[in-house]
Amino acid sequence: MNALYASFWALALSFAGMAALAFAMDRHYEQLTGRYELPAAQRWMLRCVGTVALAAAVFPCVAAWGATVGAVAWLGWISLAALAVVGLISAAPRWAAGLAWAALLAGAPAFIWGA
Amino acid sequence: MEMTDNKKNAQAAAANQTGAGAGGFRQAQAWLHTWCGLWFSWLLFAVFLTGTLAVFEESITHWMTPEHHAEEAAQAQAPKGADLTQRLAWGLSYMAREHQGAEMWELWPADAQGGGRLTAYWFDGQREYAMQRLDNATGQPVDLPPSTVRQTLGGHHFVEFHHELHAGSWGLWIVGFATMAMLVALVSGIITHRRIFKDFFTFRSRKGQRSWLDAHNATGVLTLPFLFMIAFTGIVISGITFMPAPKISQYGLGEQAQQQFLRELDNPYLQQRSGEPLAVPDLEPFARKGQELMGQAVRAVVIYQPGESSARIGIYGWNSDAQATQRLSATSGMVMFSAATGEVLRVRLPGEVDGGVSSQAQSVMSGLHMVKFGGWAMKWLYFVCGLAGSALMATGSILFMVKRRSKHQGEFGAATARVYRLIEGLNVAAIAGLGVACIGYLWANRLVPVGIAHRDDWELAVFFGLWLLTLAHAQWVSPTVAWRQQLAALAALCLLLPLLSWLTMGKHLPAYMAEGDWESAGVELFCLASGLASVWALRGGRLGRKTTADKESRPACATQPADQAEAEVAA
Repeated sequence: MNALYASFWALALSFAGMAALAFAMDRHYEQLTGRYELPAAQRWMLRCVGTVALAAAVFPCVAAWGATVGAVAWLGWISLAALAVVGLISAAPRWAAGLAWAALLAGAPAFIWGA
Repeated sequence: MEMTDNKKNAQAAAANQTGAGAGGFRQAQAWLHTWCGLWFSWLLFAVFLTGTLAVFEESITHWMTPEHHAEEAAQAQAPKGADLTQRLAWGLSYMAREHQGAEMWELWPADAQGGGRLTAYWFDGQREYAMQRLDNATGQPVDLPPSTVRQTLGGHHFVEFHHELHAGSWGLWIVGFATMAMLVALVSGIITHRRIFKDFFTFRSRKGQRSWLDAHNATGVLTLPFLFMIAFTGIVISGITFMPAPKISQYGLGEQAQQQFLRELDNPYLQQRSGEPLAVPDLEPFARKGQELMGQAVRAVVIYQPGESSARIGIYGWNSDAQATQRLSATSGMVMFSAATGEVLRVRLPGEVDGGVSSQAQSVMSGLHMVKFGGWAMKWLYFVCGLAGSALMATGSILFMVKRRSKHQGEFGAATARVYRLIEGLNVAAIAGLGVACIGYLWANRLVPVGIAHRDDWELAVFFGLWLLTLAHAQWVSPTVAWRQQLAALAALCLLLPLLSWLTMGKHLPAYMAEGDWESAGVELFCLASGLASVWALRGGRLGRKTTADKESRPACATQPADQAEAEVAA
């Protein structure tokens, strides 16, 4: 896989994953919706989506860079995505949520590719 | 866990004491984190920021040697020159004619495509590496024309500073100690930070001290794998220097022992000199066979102990881009022959190293540290993580003072105010001042006249001179003014760099982009981005002062002064 596509997919999936994990927390859910308590089912779903998206981000990395370099790349992309999520949620939580949806859709082909 | 009021009070009292033994385990770790972090943060910030810039060493060098651009373009257009056989024959006859006594000959016949330069290297009488370029179409020695290319260390300055502060082995040891301190600060920081997972994604802006702490925590926690990896591999790279006992027990002390150690480590296939003369044989068959066995094009042919029957011929390969993408260990292939018998002594495939598993591990670790793998994407990842790590150190040392501006802690008795003042000044010079020095180094590259003696030293002098000036300035004027003026200087120097380059070189940023020279364009774009970030930091400072100006007339800091937010970390 081309390194550019892989970078894009890995970043998109890790961003979506990190954002989902963040919005599964009361504090950030409140920043987004104004409601204090997050329903348990929704929290569970957000955590699942987040974990799966983060795990899926490993596929484009391994496809582009092989298993060893790919593992390093994966750690790099999820770190970078987490920094981006923190900055964006603090500045504009709604934008962060919207971008996370877009990233999830954009990253979907990598899911299929990985499976 | 529920705590009784008594316990809480006891903890609060302990937290107010200073000293490693005060309070519980977490307090002790907080104390360690604060002081270990503070005293090393300035040095660590400098090492980290220059290391981050060093990721793009080649690109910075490319920008700093604009005269090379035309030469490179001409070289790409140049005819391919003679074939490998002819090139090797020319190289061999030149070395046999001119450098018969040298203990090692090294020929770099061609690039991976069989074109490009033909160069010979050897150790001269002083055991210094020497070189001679040979014409790739005639085999005649080419003397490089008196240089019109600016003499500069280029991006390598940042590499040198990063790993040994331009101070040789002393610098290496200092950086080594600082790196150990960084590992201590990382571990104690994790123990101190009670809410790693609760605050994982938290950044609260415009909240003074709380914002600084959030920023410090976020940059630290989110890049933790990178920070541990880079600090640990940084020490491992120089492990033999830092932990010399095994080497000394095997080889003893002294220059001789060191040389023998290196020789056996680098090349275990050498023998004692035989003293029996034997002319170096035709190299072409060795090169062909070497290429076949290691599966790479010939990069270098090295003849050890030339002219004797004990001579060895090593064929080294070019790593292809694809190989460099997928492999952490950056070594290329190598095949070692006996010159006398033609026997193959060793085939080292690309990525392998000599010296067993520990050498292999070290090669992977240094590959990990220096990001020679994975191409541009990986460089950018390292660059951004490196910037985040630099921010970790900067926010840590700023946080130390922000906390003490709102509440004097009297750690230094009567001298506390003076020590605080010193720390404020060191913060300004270490953070903003280093930025000014780095961008000043790029300015010097355009302004120091081409062709003056020791030009590269002048560029370095500008770097260190500017840095010293910012230190003096930060101790001379008040911290607020120092932050403001140095950030303003940083912003101006960064934003005006493309203009300076245009005026002195006649080529502007859009022209680089139009040509597709993204290395040069990237350097200038990053400078512009840094300039904008400095302007943002300046404006942030003004905002911060306005909102809190009415609270009290304490000395404000350039960025946001501490508000009443209580701290999570007892420090």
